[in-house]
Order: sequence, then C-alpha cells, then structure tokens
Amino acid sequence: MADAAPAVPGDPPPRATVLDSLGEDITRIVYPVSACMLLVVLLVSLLSSPDSPSPLTASIAAATGGGGGGGDNIPTALITALTFVVSVTAATFLLALLFYLRCTPCLRAYLGFSALAVLLVLGGQVALLLLTRLRLPLDAVSFALLLPNAAGALALAALAPASVPIALHQAALVAIAVLTAFWFTLLPEWTTWALLVAMAVYDLAAVLLPGGPLRVLLELAIERNEEIPALVYEARPVDPRHGRNWRLWREGRQPGGDLDASSTTVEVIEEVLGRHLDANSGNGSSPQVREAATSAGDVSNSRPRATLAAALSSSDSTVVQAGEVLALQEHRMAIAEMRVPLIQPRPERSGEEEEDEDGIGLSSSGAIKLGLGDFIFYSVLVGRAAMYDYMTVYACYLAIIAGLGITLLLLAFFRKALPALPVSIALGVVFYVLTRTLLEEFVVQCSTNLLMF
Amino acid sequence: MEARVAGVPEDEESGLLPRPSAAGRRPSSRGPRFPPPPAAWATVDGPLGLPLEEAEGHARRFFLWGFACLPFLWAINCCYFWPVLRSPAASSPAAFGSIRPYVVRSAIGFTIFSVVLITWATTFIVGGERLFGPGWNDLVMYNVADKLGLSGFMG
Repeated sequence: MADAAPAVPGDPPPRATVLDSLGEDITRIVYPVSACMLLVVLLVSLLSSPDSPSPLTASIAAATGGGGGGGDNIPTALITALTFVVSVTAATFLLALLFYLRCTPCLRAYLGFSALAVLLVLGGQVALLLLTRLRLPLDAVSFALLLPNAAGALALAALAPASVPIALHQAALVAIAVLTAFWFTLLPEWTTWALLVAMAVYDLAAVLLPGGPLRVLLELAIERNEEIPALVYEARPVDPRHGRNWRLWREGRQPGGDLDASSTTVEVIEEVLGRHLDANSGNGSSPQVREAATSAGDVSNSRPRATLAAALSSSDSTVVQAGEVLALQEHRMAIAEMRVPLIQPRPERSGEEEEDEDGIGLSSSGAIKLGLGDFIFYSVLVGRAAMYDYMTVYACYLAIIAGLGITLLLLAFFRKALPALPVSIALGVVFYVLTRTLLEEFVVQCSTNLLMF
Repeated sequence: MEARVAGVPEDEESGLLPRPSAAGRRPSSRGPRFPPPPAAWATVDGPLGLPLEEAEGHARRFFLWGFACLPFLWAINCCYFWPVLRSPAASSPAAFGSIRPYVVRSAIGFTIFSVVLITWATTFIVGGERLFGPGWNDLVMYNVADKLGLSGFMG
C-alpha cells in the first residue's frame, strides 16, 4: 500500500489477501513444474523413437487378457486406466488407515523404500539407456560406484528436507518426478491418455467428495495437527522469517516460551498475515505493525495469537476494536475449534509408485505445496505430446501452466486444499486434441505455401 | 495527524491487528523486543536452514556416515555448511568453531574421492582399447548392460 494519507475514520482499509503475494509464490511453483516437464521432454526426445512400439505394450496386453489386435486399443486402455485408479484408491485408503493407526514409521519406511527404488531402479535404467544411445564410454566400476551413491544421496535429500540444502531437496523431488513420469510415458498411447483422464477425475473425486480417500486423510491430519509423511514439493517461502527454523529460534529465546503443539492453525495465520502485512507495508510507515506481526508470530503463549485469531475471525469488520485485545482468554479456547480459512491442509494421495501427494495447498510456513503426483502427471502429458511433435508440446505446456495458474487462483479464493490435476489435465487434453487436429493442418498449410512461419 | 476515534487504526496496514500500544506495550519501545538473529547462519539456506544448536551434530553425523562408501554425503555436508567453510578461521563466530573440523574433513574426503574417480574414469575413456586391450570392451557400461540385460525392461 502506498504512503497514503491516514485513513479517515470509517473508511475501511483494504484487506490484505493471499493474492497480493501470490505472484512470487506462483513463480516459485511454475519453475520446478516447467523444469520437470522440460527434462521429461528431453528424455523422451533422446530416448524414444516413434516407430518402436511401446515396450510395455506386450505386458499390458498379456495382463488384460490379450485384447484384440495389439495392446493399444481403447478397451484395453480403459481397463488399464480403471485398474490403476482402483489400485490407487485402495492404496490411499490403506494409507489413511495406517495414518489413523499412527503407524508413522511404516509410512516413512514405505516412503523411503519407494523413493530409493525409483531413484535406483528407474534412475539406473534411464542412465543406462542414455549411455547406450549416446555411446558414452563410462566404465562399469564408476557406474557401480556412482549410481547407488547418487540414488542414496537424492533419496536422503527427498525425505529429510531439514538435513540438506533446500535446493537439493527440491532437485531430488523433481528428479523422482522426472523418472516416474518418463516411465509412464512408456505406456501405449491410448492407455496414457485414458490414465491421465481417469486420474484427473479420481483426483477431483478424492479431494472434494466427502467420502474421498484424500479428504479423509486430510481431515485426519487437520484433526490431529500432524503432518502426513509424504513426498510433496514445497516452494521456498518468500520471506525467510517465516521459515520453520527462524520461528523455532525465536521461540526458543522466549522466557517461559513453550511451544503450543496445537498451534499450527494459528501459526499459519500469523505467517500468512505477517507476509501480507510485509508485502503491503513496503513503506516504513508502520514499524509497529511489522513488529506486532512478528511479535505475535513469535511469542508462543497464546495471548497475541488469540488476538490475531480473533481479529481474523472478525475479518469482515475491518475495524478492530481495542477492546478485543482484552478479551483474550475466551478466544484461546476458540482457537482449537476455529477453522480459519487461511490454513491449507495438504491433501495426500498414495500412488503405487510412491507416496506422492496430490492436490495443492499452503504449508504451515505459508508457502505453496504441490504434490509430486501432479508434477508426474503434468510431465506425462507433455512427454506424450512430445512423442508426436514439438508443436503439441508447446500447446500442452501453455495449457498446463494456465491450468496451474487457475488452480492457484482458486486456491486463493477458496482457501482449502484443492485438486491440482483436473483443470490442467482437462486443458492439456483439449489443447492436444485441438492442436493435433486443427492447428497442425493450419500451420502446415501456411508453411508449405510460404505464408507464415 | 487527524483525530482518531478510539480503536480505529491509524493507518491502513494495521487494520487487521489490534493496536500494540493498546495491548499494554509501551509505545516508546520501538526497538526489537527480542535479541537480534545470529549474525551468521551456519547453513547456506540462512534462516531457513538448521539452527546453530543442531548444526554440529548434523555435520558430525554426515561426516561419519560418509565413510560407509557414501562420499556424496561429504559433498552435501560441504555444500550445506558453505558459510562455515568460507569464513576465515580467525574471524568466524564461536559457534562455527565446533562445526568447522567436520566440514573441513568432509571437504578433504570428497576431494580425494572425486580426484580418484575422475582420474580413473578419464584414464578409461581416453585410454580406450589401446591401454586396456580387449578388456576395455568388457568394462564399458553399455556392453555390460547388454550382456546382463539390465536395460531390457525399458526397451
């Protein structure tokens, strides 16, 4: 907000919304999604040739009872997609059950195993394919030394974000997504498209329907204020003061400060609110506001938090009465029950391949979280488009990024966890079909007649 | 400054917060209520990284685990504690002093490993069959992969 004249009494001050700081957040999500897609397109261009049939066609045809012709027809594709969705649903319910029974070591072990398996097996395969196609003369000893090392280091980076640089953690997650997406692009064509559409529908249902597995998991996590152990990409928070360790550091130096375990909800309010205030108060005209925000954010006893929470619960009334400051104790009870719309619990989906998370939300540090499953399926779509031509790649890339932007806007408006797949996949599929049928004709005709391009 | 109605915030940004002065703080204490953050953060992520108390244990653990044929852990150690490595020993803060030996030793270990590996790999690539004879073909990875059928399932 500009250095405006003091507000006239009764003039409602403009509300700080998530939209104000969403620009930087969007960028920090779009970069890794684009990087993942770019790597998958590169791998697909290097490693697959359009003439060879998909290596998995035969196994799919065998598994589905040998559908007529090859493995690449519509009924087989539908059956495969349906089977996949059913198994993902079952796995998610199993995950919810384990989470309900508090078997966190099981979940973490499974996560670790799947991350390591992807990096070692799929990563090794991709590396071997690259070495073979490009005829790089790496020797077996170095390869045997480097591969387990790299796989172990990346798996550690993916699973223990506190122990490694943030950049490495994010790179490890993107690597896992790239490898899984590349593996998916090896499926036959109709199967891939059927799978994408089925997963988009499943995502929509699982996150938004009351009985959906992801929603169940979500509500469990909110209820207990625990984090679901999962692979999820979290963008770096825009303001470093909202990082976990800054808060812990400051709270640790509070006299009598005890961490309120059930304070995640309110912490999010402070973080997000503090961020907006910082974003808005670029001028130095309100040092006391910034101080109040950080002080409220740091003091671990709940008096300022209750105030903050009270202030937010009456967010429609833009004038915060000074009297509210005094009525603190009763608000302390209200915090636990209050579902402040600014918190974004993270939905989760467990795929067969790993504990990816699906859906998009805000983490406890106010940064945007995007599940790894979304990375994977976006990249699968673009990779499959790359197998046809680069024109479809560009069209699908733009469609997916537009869908991601729309989803983020919806996230800002609805302020609850949303499925990130449906909009992007829908736009991507539509653009792919339109490009392949209409745009290509147009472009080819124009080019051959030397009209454009 | 125009007259303020009690309870109405003075400027627009503070509309969502109660006035801090009303909460009982002295309005004159504009200075930070809390000690300033440490002058230097031990990790390359700065305030988002590990706090200083945990940094030493972490550096030690990574250093020791690196001996289990995992030299990349040493590399991660060096990258993560880059500020510790780069600050000259004389002028670095006291907390760095306990972290520094582990990071320096990790750096030395990783350097040795990478030198050995790169030397061997370069000798292999550049020397080729002239140097190794027919054994070269047995050691090259793509032949090994074909022989063992490792890349079979991905075509």
